[in-house]
Amino acid sequence: MQITTIALVAFLLMGCSMIEEVKPWEKENLAKPIMQFEGLHPEVTKFESHVYFSKEASRGGSGVAGGGCGCN
Amino acid sequence: MLKKTLYTLLVSTIGLMALETGETIPQNIQEQLKLENDKIYVVDFFASWCKSCKKELPLVEKVYQDKSAEIIGINVDKNREDGEKMVSDLALSFPIVYDTDKTLVETFNPLGFPALYYVKNGKILNIIFGAVDEIDKKIDADMKVLK
Repeated sequence: MQITTIALVAFLLMGCSMIEEVKPWEKENLAKPIMQFEGLHPEVTKFESHVYFSKEASRGGSGVAGGGCGCN
Repeated sequence: MLKKTLYTLLVSTIGLMALETGETIPQNIQEQLKLENDKIYVVDFFASWCKSCKKELPLVEKVYQDKSAEIIGINVDKNREDGEKMVSDLALSFPIVYDTDKTLVETFNPLGFPALYYVKNGKILNIIFGAVDEIDKKIDADMKVLK
């Protein structure tokens, strides 16, 4: 039983090691405008945020800016 | 079997290691970039989708026009046409290498983009990753120190 558990954990950890890192020069798709948190139409998101803020009396916590091209 | 696996892992890890300051660029890459001895080159990696690169490149072009440094641009776009369009739009006149097969960028293995390497006699003297405000002034200042 113990050996099976160890083998299972080792197998799962082996899976983690196979996740390939995305290199800075491979972030073309991540840098596309559609990948931004606000999507292609930031004005719509801005309006929705305003409605949310007005209803809930709270703002923020909706992500960070940037497309993730590895700059800075 | 275990030895073989460990050896493969070690070789692949070494292969993925980035070129750091003080290290020498492989001879075949030096030849590909046509680096001459005793000249300091600024090797600038960029891509058309990189917004910071678009901001920086006109300033790098200014450095080249002022003859403050030898510049070599390396475009890493998958489609060469995208890189050529960017070069044409920004009217870049310094030598550009189109690294569509990613040989150069995978050898240098930069941590961020844009990536600027100062190279002399095949040796990396300094590296700048990411966007820098007024990069032209930064390059001018660095060149004075490195010369």
